[in-house]
Amino acid sequence: MSVGFKAVQWSREKYIYDGVLLAGVTLYILAFIGISYRIEPPKDLPAAIDVRIRAFGSCAFLMLTIILSIGPLARLNPWFRKLLFNRRHFGVLTFAIAFLHAWFMIEWYEAQGNLPNLIAELTKWSDYGKFIGFPFKVIGFAALLLLFLLASTSHDFWLAFLSPPAWKWLHMTIYVAYGLVVLHVALGIMQYDRNPTIPLMLIAGFAVVTVLHLVAGWRERAGDRGTPAGNDGWIVAGVPGSIPDKCALIVSAPGGERIAVFRDGNEIGALSNLCSHQNGPIGEGRIIDGCVTCPWHGWQYRLSDGRAPPPFTETLATYPVRIRNGLVEVSPHALPPGTPASIQVPSG
Amino acid sequence: MRRAHRTAHRMLWPVLALLVGLGLTLSLVMRPPPAPPAAAEEQR
Repeated sequence: MSVGFKAVQWSREKYIYDGVLLAGVTLYILAFIGISYRIEPPKDLPAAIDVRIRAFGSCAFLMLTIILSIGPLARLNPWFRKLLFNRRHFGVLTFAIAFLHAWFMIEWYEAQGNLPNLIAELTKWSDYGKFIGFPFKVIGFAALLLLFLLASTSHDFWLAFLSPPAWKWLHMTIYVAYGLVVLHVALGIMQYDRNPTIPLMLIAGFAVVTVLHLVAGWRERAGDRGTPAGNDGWIVAGVPGSIPDKCALIVSAPGGERIAVFRDGNEIGALSNLCSHQNGPIGEGRIIDGCVTCPWHGWQYRLSDGRAPPPFTETLATYPVRIRNGLVEVSPHALPPGTPASIQVPSG
Repeated sequence: MRRAHRTAHRMLWPVLALLVGLGLTLSLVMRPPPAPPAAAEEQR
């Protein structure tokens, strides 16, 4: 393999993130089990296992709903970016909770000596032709397999090995997994348990995630239409002063990728808007310690040539920039990654 | 995200919302009526 493995880089922020996450999950599960026992104490072991199945299943659904909301929320409001940087740990924990939900289901059959019934249930082929009565456990199992695939490829090794675009395509299957989970619950417990909390939780969760994705996607459309270009194809970004100091304006060639035009005092440079780590939106970041810093995971690049500061070796494509009639213009044609391309503009 | 990913997002979500929303609605509408208490106890 051409990609080296590096251990996870822990930081104080990651410890806090994971600590809050673990505490939240533990509290939810304990509260769920505690309240369930208070309302209806389980009469036997299978009933006690059933409470665990519900606690872990509903927890996994809520976690998946939150994970899928973080992306569009971060697009709509930068405050939510602080939830984005360690989202992969959230995803791996969600798989673990979903796995325990499935494990307790097997234990539930075993506690009654009915494990063969599970096999019979899954291999009753006539049920596969029904809508109500479809073997919903198979849908849950398919979702669990997808979550396993995503959790097992969450490490940066797989991100580098597959390349960021291919990794992103793979991880977009989480949407399919979420749809399967909704149907697993809708065709499963919702059919025989009349507790109104179940359809309410399902509908509210799915509606929130869907609306957030549709709204964020709608707002992103304008950025993909392309910025007006001059006769010679150069894209007009605006007067130098319209680019906030240490920040960027994002422009895009029609049909092309976005370009981040940064200003650092009198220096103006244009870089690909795709961070080489996870293709995060570089142009939504800031210049920190003299380097353009990705808002997602803090990867840094020099504005002058798009190279990461030593000892790092990542590079971004740069774009030629010029001043014409007092306006900053950017060529839509990328230079090879790491090519110096920034310019100095007169102050004032 | 690349342009292609954003385009795929914009195409995928309305389809997913429609399919899953339809499945969810049908599973609610076609729910069997609640079993009488004795039968419900049996089912557990």
